[in-house]
Amino acid sequence: MGRFLELLKAGPISGLKLRTKLLLLALTTLALPWAGCQYAREMETVLRESEQQSLLAVTTTIAGSLKGRQELLFRADSLPAIDGNNARDITPVVLSGAPLIDGRSDEWDTNERNVVRVAGPGGDGMRLLAATHERWLYLALLVRDQKLVFDAYQMAPLDSNTIGDRIWLAFDDKRGGQQRLFFGGASPGPVPARRIETREYGREEAVEEPRIEAVWQRAKEGYVVEIGIPLSLVGQHIGVLIDDRDRRGAARQSYGTLDVADLRATGRLIAASPDLNDHLRQFAQPGVELTVASSSGATLTRLDAPALPGDYTKMRGFLPRMYRLFLDGGAIPRSVSQPERERSAQSLTSKAARGHAETALFAGRYENSVIVAAAAPIFSADGKQVLGVIQLAQTADRWLTLRDRALTRLLNLTLIVTLFAVGAAFWFAGRMTLRITRLGTASENALGREGSLSRVLPESDARDELGELSRSFSSLLGRLDEYTGYLRTLAGKLAHEIRTPLTIIRSSLENLESEAQGSSGMPESAHIYISRAREGSERLGAILTAMGAATKVEEAIAQSERQRFDLAALVRTAVGAYGAAFPQRQFVCRAPDEPVEIIGAPELIVQLLDKLIDNAVDFSADGATITVVLGDDSAFAELSVANPGPPLPSEGAEKLFESLWQSRPETDKRPHFGLGLYIVRLIAEFHGGTAHAANLPDDTGAIFSVRLAH
Amino acid sequence: MKKTIAIVEDERAIRDNYAAAFSREGYAVRGYPNRREAMAAFAARLPDLAVIDISLEDEPEGGFELCRELRGLSPELPIIFLTARDSDLDAVSGLRLGADDFLTKDLSLAHLIARVNALFRRVDALRRPAEEKQVIRRGALSLDGERMSVEWNGQVVLLSLTEFWIVHALTKHPGHVKNRQQLMDAANVVLDDNTITSHIKRIRRKFQVVDEKFDAVHTVYGMGYRWVE
Repeated sequence: MGRFLELLKAGPISGLKLRTKLLLLALTTLALPWAGCQYAREMETVLRESEQQSLLAVTTTIAGSLKGRQELLFRADSLPAIDGNNARDITPVVLSGAPLIDGRSDEWDTNERNVVRVAGPGGDGMRLLAATHERWLYLALLVRDQKLVFDAYQMAPLDSNTIGDRIWLAFDDKRGGQQRLFFGGASPGPVPARRIETREYGREEAVEEPRIEAVWQRAKEGYVVEIGIPLSLVGQHIGVLIDDRDRRGAARQSYGTLDVADLRATGRLIAASPDLNDHLRQFAQPGVELTVASSSGATLTRLDAPALPGDYTKMRGFLPRMYRLFLDGGAIPRSVSQPERERSAQSLTSKAARGHAETALFAGRYENSVIVAAAAPIFSADGKQVLGVIQLAQTADRWLTLRDRALTRLLNLTLIVTLFAVGAAFWFAGRMTLRITRLGTASENALGREGSLSRVLPESDARDELGELSRSFSSLLGRLDEYTGYLRTLAGKLAHEIRTPLTIIRSSLENLESEAQGSSGMPESAHIYISRAREGSERLGAILTAMGAATKVEEAIAQSERQRFDLAALVRTAVGAYGAAFPQRQFVCRAPDEPVEIIGAPELIVQLLDKLIDNAVDFSADGATITVVLGDDSAFAELSVANPGPPLPSEGAEKLFESLWQSRPETDKRPHFGLGLYIVRLIAEFHGGTAHAANLPDDTGAIFSVRLAH
Repeated sequence: MKKTIAIVEDERAIRDNYAAAFSREGYAVRGYPNRREAMAAFAARLPDLAVIDISLEDEPEGGFELCRELRGLSPELPIIFLTARDSDLDAVSGLRLGADDFLTKDLSLAHLIARVNALFRRVDALRRPAEEKQVIRRGALSLDGERMSVEWNGQVVLLSLTEFWIVHALTKHPGHVKNRQQLMDAANVVLDDNTITSHIKRIRRKFQVVDEKFDAVHTVYGMGYRWVE
């Protein structure tokens, strides 16, 4: 604390003006918006959490409604034995619209988990996507193949020596039989599906299956085969196999989800029940995306409600943008790429698949949009197994909008308050500075050059500390005034007091002298003593007169009447007279020939000149030349007296003109009270002018000048 | 019969010294330390001349009051203020109350006695018819040296003794510059420059009371004054 105070005292703030300090203080109100932001973030967090919690609650409710209801979750034909996941399982997504069977899979909105991947030899490989729509199962095979060779199926289709790429499809039928089909096209476009029929004696025959549609298309680094199968054909298992036969005689390279040896389908078809969507629709809310996934995380179905249009309308304008700029720092995730988003959703699903309801927050599709998601496991009837996962996602636009609105209002308010506070502080500081400055100037001026103090200070009727300061200044100045007055009259009073005993001495001496003349009773030496005593008393009298001189001049000034007169004539006459009065000095007078008229008291000017000449005579040697110059310009007449002699004392020429100040050699025996130049100043000021002293160039003497207003 | 001089002065040593000096000159002297005693005595018998100090014991302005009361008793009685106070204001107040002279205690006893003698001479002169030979005429001015009275254009100008002597010195040789020292000698006073200036001012003002255009006393800057006809 002490150090802090010290820093305040000596720190960077101490050098500043009061106004700047107060301004800085006022600027601390800028912390208000900062606090507001913190509050808004808190609020945002609370809102977000409550949003997440409510979403989680809804999710859990839906999950509860599905608990143990496998038949509602999964297609009756493909009720999975819940025995862990098989990499060959195919989980079709429920599509909202039938895909066009055209060999292009881009309209398939599938989850990565739904994709079955099988690696082939030599960098080849396949990805299998599955989807259902109403009563159809759609498969898309995206095959990477270095060399696409079309199947020459017109020849014996089952001849193992034929070449060409062929796709095998195998599934259980509902009766428990195995159906095996293959597709091999001579050219891109629709290819017929051919079923292997086993006739008598095990003879196999390829029969065209018209219920199954397929289209073969070339694609980058391979080909795409899109297949449509009526769901009614398919039982519990389904699989595909790529038969890659690049040239005649080459070893057949086969890979896929079928058993290569007997073309048996081992992967299950895990499809959603047709009633699932109907069941889920009752929970649908606008803006909420509802996804059901299998326990492996593969999407079973997705109920995609349309987003609320214009829900999150960003506030436009400069200020809201600025606010967002320093709000959205890290709390809200930035927009991320689609795969990343999907990964976030996936990881949420995986967590739920492990049996825990979870909620998460991730970036949405658009800039600054945020998605709140919650996932809950769907348990089996005994609650021991996770049948699937339900996930709800919705954009967080609602509370973002709320936050933005609240923030904008809050920040606008604090901004106004801050501006007001700064303005008020500025005004207050300005007023304070003005008042202090006024007080300072007044107290500086109070001690005028004449020494008479004006005791009325501004602010003395103010009730605050400045008023107190002003009042204490006033009383201080008052006391100073009394003291100064006492000092100023001291010489006069002293002279007056001493005059009475002096009169006693002198009259006694005079009586003594008178009576001594008549009688001869006094020795001769007594006369000498008497005359010495008289001399002494006369000197004392001279001292008293000198002491009272300033008071006399002040009185004379007070009673002087101003008149217009010619200063040049006065100076010429007076200097002429000084020549007679001081025969030891030479006098040079330079005054304009034309009249220099001023308004004032000529007898006072003469007295002023007397003092200057006295001074010049005192400080110059016998035979020296004293130069009196009268200059004239439009504003002032300047009268100066220059004498050769010692330079002025270094303490400052202005001090010479103060009362009771003198610098004379100690050897001077005549009484001096440092009043001569003070009288010069008094008279100069009476004439609206000033008095100055300076050294002559080369320090050969001094020049005293007075300026007198016209 | 001896002329009686009353000295009203609270400082006993000064009073006694003055008394001794006046007695030597052949005057009867009575001294009083304050206004009360002085007035009591004056009510019984008036002196021929009164020398009064301004501040008397507990009354700082007691002399003025005494002067007013004394003037009430006798309009002709010569009154001299003799005081340590030398401000112009006091001088003006004293003379306005009808004092014949206002002197400071710097004045030597000899000068004081000269004044007292002069005032007695004037009292005597006023009792006799005016003697034409004593009258100096300078244009509009006529100055009676014995009666110490001055007339301008036939109108009386009331001057104090000091003022009269200054005018007398100036008019003796009209046109000649009299410097301050000469004027002081003529007036039997020792005065500083400012007091001389005030005297001159007062003289001018008194003449201007009877004649607004009066401009006979000229200042010769740095030297002194002269009477111009």
